[in-house]
Amino acid sequence: MAANMKAVKLRIKSVQSTMQITKAMQLVAASKLRKAKEKADRSKPYLNICKDTLADIATGNTDFQSPYTKASENDKWLYVVIAGDRGLAGGYNANLFKFMESEFHGRDVTVLPLGKKSVEYCKQKHIPIFSESYAEVAKVNISDCFEIARLLCEAYKSKEFGHIFLCYTNFISMLTQSPEASSMLPLSDFSEAEGRENHEKPKHLILYEPDSETVFNSIVPEYLAGLLYSSINVSVASELAARRTAMEAATDNAEEMIETLSLYYNRARQAGITQEITEIVAGAEEP
Amino acid sequence: MSAFHLQIVSMDGLIYDGNVQKIMLRTIDGDVAILNRHTNYCTAVAMGTAHVLTEDGKDRSAACIGGMLSMMDNECRLIPTTWEWSDEIDVERAESAKKRAEETLAKSGLDKVAVARAQAKLYRALVRIGTAKQ
Repeated sequence: MAANMKAVKLRIKSVQSTMQITKAMQLVAASKLRKAKEKADRSKPYLNICKDTLADIATGNTDFQSPYTKASENDKWLYVVIAGDRGLAGGYNANLFKFMESEFHGRDVTVLPLGKKSVEYCKQKHIPIFSESYAEVAKVNISDCFEIARLLCEAYKSKEFGHIFLCYTNFISMLTQSPEASSMLPLSDFSEAEGRENHEKPKHLILYEPDSETVFNSIVPEYLAGLLYSSINVSVASELAARRTAMEAATDNAEEMIETLSLYYNRARQAGITQEITEIVAGAEEP
Repeated sequence: MSAFHLQIVSMDGLIYDGNVQKIMLRTIDGDVAILNRHTNYCTAVAMGTAHVLTEDGKDRSAACIGGMLSMMDNECRLIPTTWEWSDEIDVERAESAKKRAEETLAKSGLDKVAVARAQAKLYRALVRIGTAKQ
């Protein structure tokens, strides 16, 4: 009985120290999450203005043409996958990879992984990797985003890939984050068909310098960089939210375990005492 | 001079929101200055020093790199890739970036992409240093 009690006590201690860690991680994730959320919200207006201007140019000119809007016949796909650097974030990485798998189905895919976990995943599944120089998602800053955007534009223009997609985790609320894929190139939203539909809209007469196509083509990389940067921010916020929720659940579980174990421990202790008393009483009664 | 409304929005959020008399910057097609009642206008921004003359006559300069400028119905919107007011520029960092870029360019056997990247870095550093020294 005594040996069993000692084992239970040790177990309680180990669960307690695990709980301390998960609790700390939960608090850290919660405080980082607030900052990440603000950062994600701040980069949104930039993206919206960029998109509006591109749409204005594309719809405002009837004979508009750009290498970035044309749908291509090349059926090579490049996916930019934004995952986390670390685990212990609940289903954050697993959900993204599951979603990716369904996206990849039957396509000739190359991946540009952002985040150590996505690099690991691609290596494990033998998916061709475009570039590994941006493995750590936490270290990617604005200028890296521009570099990536330029790389993507060049790869697209040289017909290396026919479609470029972005896979990230969208932040819906503190409790829900869902993996999503969005098209980066070609910019099908701005292609001619769409322009015809919007024909009713009054056109603005805008002076483009030197001309609308040059302006459009030089804004596209900026737009993609903005899209990347804000998607990274949203993904980081999602990762932190997922980690916070997971760690909260882990802390709750640990608390429950400690409760059950201490109940068991107290019972065992009480049983021991009762037994001792019985023995003493039995001994005293004998003549 | 009469003033118009200018918004500067970068990826780090709203940098400037207020009335200005004039904004001058370098576009991919050369230097431009925008005054009040400019016609609807849109262009892409290159690297250079930008000057903003605020409504109360203060002249502020900044290192403005990339992005675009649009003037619609007398509302001016500038969305730069990076925008640093002259008093916020880290000159030491720019100097070291300049040195590193120069060292890279001095090496032989670089491929085209590396040269272009180093040149862009050098140019950005020069713009920052030039703006800070004004």
